[in-house]
Amino acid sequence: MSALSVSDLSQDFGATRALSRVAFDIAPGEQVALIGASGSGKTSLLKLLGLQHKPTSGSVSVLGCDLSNASAKELRKTRSRVGMLPQDLGLVPNLRVVQNIILGRSGQRRLPGTLRDLIWPKKEVREEIFKTLDRMGVAEKMYDRTDSLSGGQQQRVALSRTLFQGAEVLLADEPLSAVDPARARDVLKLLTGLSQENGSTLVVSLHQVGLAREFFARVIGLKNGEVVFDGQPNDEELAGLYEV
Amino acid sequence: MKSGAWRMWFGRRWLLVGVVLIFAWCVGRLGTEVFSHTAGSDPLASTLRFFGAAFSPSFTDQNPNLPENATPFLTRLGGDLLRTLRYALIATSMAIPAGLLLGFFASKQGWPIGRARFLFQLVRWPVRVFLSLIRSIHELIWAIFFLSAFGDFPLTACLALALPFTGTLAKVFSEIMDEERNSARQVIMASGGSGAQGFFGAVLPAALPDMITYSLYRFECALRSSAVLGFIGIETIGLSIMQSFESTYYGEVWTALYVLIITILLIEGFGYFIRKRLSAGVARRDAVKGEVTEEKLRKTAPKDRTLRFSGLLWAVAIVVAFQTGDRLIKPMAEGQQEARLSRFWTKISPDPIAPEKAVSTWDERKEVWNAGSDQLLPWVQDIWESPGAEALANTVAMSVAAIILAGVVALVLVPFSLRTLSSRFPLGLETPGGRMIRVLGVVVRGGFVVTRAVPEYLYAFLLVGLMGPSAWPLVFALVLHNVGILGRLWTEVGENQPPQNARAVIQVGGGRLQAFYAALLPLSLNRFLLFFFYRWESCMREATVLGMLGFSSLGYYISIRKSFREYDEILFFSLLGASVIIVGDIVSDALRKQLRSA
Repeated sequence: MSALSVSDLSQDFGATRALSRVAFDIAPGEQVALIGASGSGKTSLLKLLGLQHKPTSGSVSVLGCDLSNASAKELRKTRSRVGMLPQDLGLVPNLRVVQNIILGRSGQRRLPGTLRDLIWPKKEVREEIFKTLDRMGVAEKMYDRTDSLSGGQQQRVALSRTLFQGAEVLLADEPLSAVDPARARDVLKLLTGLSQENGSTLVVSLHQVGLAREFFARVIGLKNGEVVFDGQPNDEELAGLYEV
Repeated sequence: MKSGAWRMWFGRRWLLVGVVLIFAWCVGRLGTEVFSHTAGSDPLASTLRFFGAAFSPSFTDQNPNLPENATPFLTRLGGDLLRTLRYALIATSMAIPAGLLLGFFASKQGWPIGRARFLFQLVRWPVRVFLSLIRSIHELIWAIFFLSAFGDFPLTACLALALPFTGTLAKVFSEIMDEERNSARQVIMASGGSGAQGFFGAVLPAALPDMITYSLYRFECALRSSAVLGFIGIETIGLSIMQSFESTYYGEVWTALYVLIITILLIEGFGYFIRKRLSAGVARRDAVKGEVTEEKLRKTAPKDRTLRFSGLLWAVAIVVAFQTGDRLIKPMAEGQQEARLSRFWTKISPDPIAPEKAVSTWDERKEVWNAGSDQLLPWVQDIWESPGAEALANTVAMSVAAIILAGVVALVLVPFSLRTLSSRFPLGLETPGGRMIRVLGVVVRGGFVVTRAVPEYLYAFLLVGLMGPSAWPLVFALVLHNVGILGRLWTEVGENQPPQNARAVIQVGGGRLQAFYAALLPLSLNRFLLFFFYRWESCMREATVLGMLGFSSLGYYISIRKSFREYDEILFFSLLGASVIIVGDIVSDALRKQLRSA
């Protein structure tokens, strides 16, 4: 069974068509890069894969949950297995690192449990978070305010949050957008390495064509909301992707 | 001029032309008589004597006829100040939780997904209307009502302050929460969390520092309002100032003014200190020694002890305010409170439906309603025709004239108060001379601090005493206070603008003022207008009560009806003022949204 399956998917925002008849399957544990120019539909596709809203037409299935006929409970349960890494990382700047990590499990807890963990986390929870942060190399920042960390450290914290969540699918929206070229490679190594270690499915949207080819066996190219190639692209296909 | 050129000229200058025309209308309504003294008085001598006393404030009683065992002046003043602080503290401590709860319902951020969302949508508008209404009626008017309904207790003063402050806090809290666009909430909901988890986990923590600093600012406002309650006889520092001024003990007046200003400045300084600490956070001082463990990290986690101590101090102050001093409610004989409330209910019921007996039963009231409800509309029409419409127009004219004058004065002063301009290195460029401008900068910034520390009503009381009863002392009172506030807000906006354009003006040989008016002002205009409209609302609210000091605006008629205990008409005039504020609120909200997106 596919981890992510999309068929005949279209998405309109008013008069603008963001995605048009998109179709593909992604197997469990597979690592895929989405590339395309700005406005090609990468973020819209990631949001649909994250079950954030219903498409205009077509179907999206994530970890066996079909968005079109899922109940609210099913939807919530499936979402709790999908980790999102938005461009700005989605961290609360004035909370401590440990508290941001705790929020990763909101989908598995009810409100009183989340509040309790935010204020008085149990020893087991604290230990687990420490180990997760240690794995990402930022354990010593566990009780620091998140906005006191460097950009790179914050990215590791955001990744730790998805690890703590136990996400089986990780959707990362342009994780290299605020990273210098020297560090971009490290970030992708970290993402693909984690996905490999945990056996989780990884979908990353990127602008850096070279890095996409280097790190991902499968690259999906989007242009004006349509899939123009799916696999390892050749130079001609890549040139066509950015043609105006 | 050809018609196209005329249209272009007018189109570009419509704002300026509009402002001039509106101001001319205001002057037409308010008259040109700035001083209005009765025959035989010597305004110049009393003004000189008043300002002369500023240099020799009194530390002892100026009244030579006081008995020997009378409480000394400074002790009395200290007691008044503590009472002023106490009322402000209790009122703020009641308004903050109420404002938080109502602000949550007025905001969209905590709404659940699914069917329950509809219920929240249903609740949101009634809550917003209720909040608009309670904050549009001035605390002085609430105090007049509560004094009559409950009696002269400390709690009456606290409730009169707490009610409009709840409305303001809830509105601002909901705006802070709605503007909190952090994607952390989206991440929480995308990972299966609920709207409430997104709210409590991401929106509220991120908005909390702004909410705390705004609450501190409201406490400062509550202190000013608490002082103003003295003018209707509640024992706060305002009452001492009023009594000393009326007895022409100007030395005592200045001592009380200095004490009030210093207290407000200290609170403002405390708010600034807390704001800085909240936004900066505390960094870890030393790395953990030896093997890093969770326990070691937790025990050495960076903690802001000063902030915690301040929070504790605040909590202790609230408990002390509730527990010490006069009892908040004085016990009454059985049935007395009910009778009092019933009497108030009768007095506040519009005349055609008010029962003859002050203390009436529910059935009696129903009977009167059936008999007189068809007379309600003519009653409203009568008051509207005379004097409602004219009083309302005068109140609007006062508030508009005041905000236009305050805006003009602030616009002239702000270039001097900008730290980025009034230095030897304006915007990083070494510029010869400018010592005068630097000195002026310090004076203007200090002036802004002091002028905004004194409440409008207090200025108005003093100015009416010196200039005589007309609209202009009241307008000048609003101008003085609002120049301080607009000056501060506009200075912050100007200092936060990117400096490149203004620097380019200085680079090519332009002066500091040219840099401000040619580069910084056009950049800041939208935000300047945003604050201008926000302050106009506040001016309108104040103008409603300033008339109590003697100009035929809504406040004047409220004051007259108060003497006759005609609470139904007081309510009518108050609602008239409130309706303009609510309409102004809606218009300025829409304008603000448009300006924000421009």
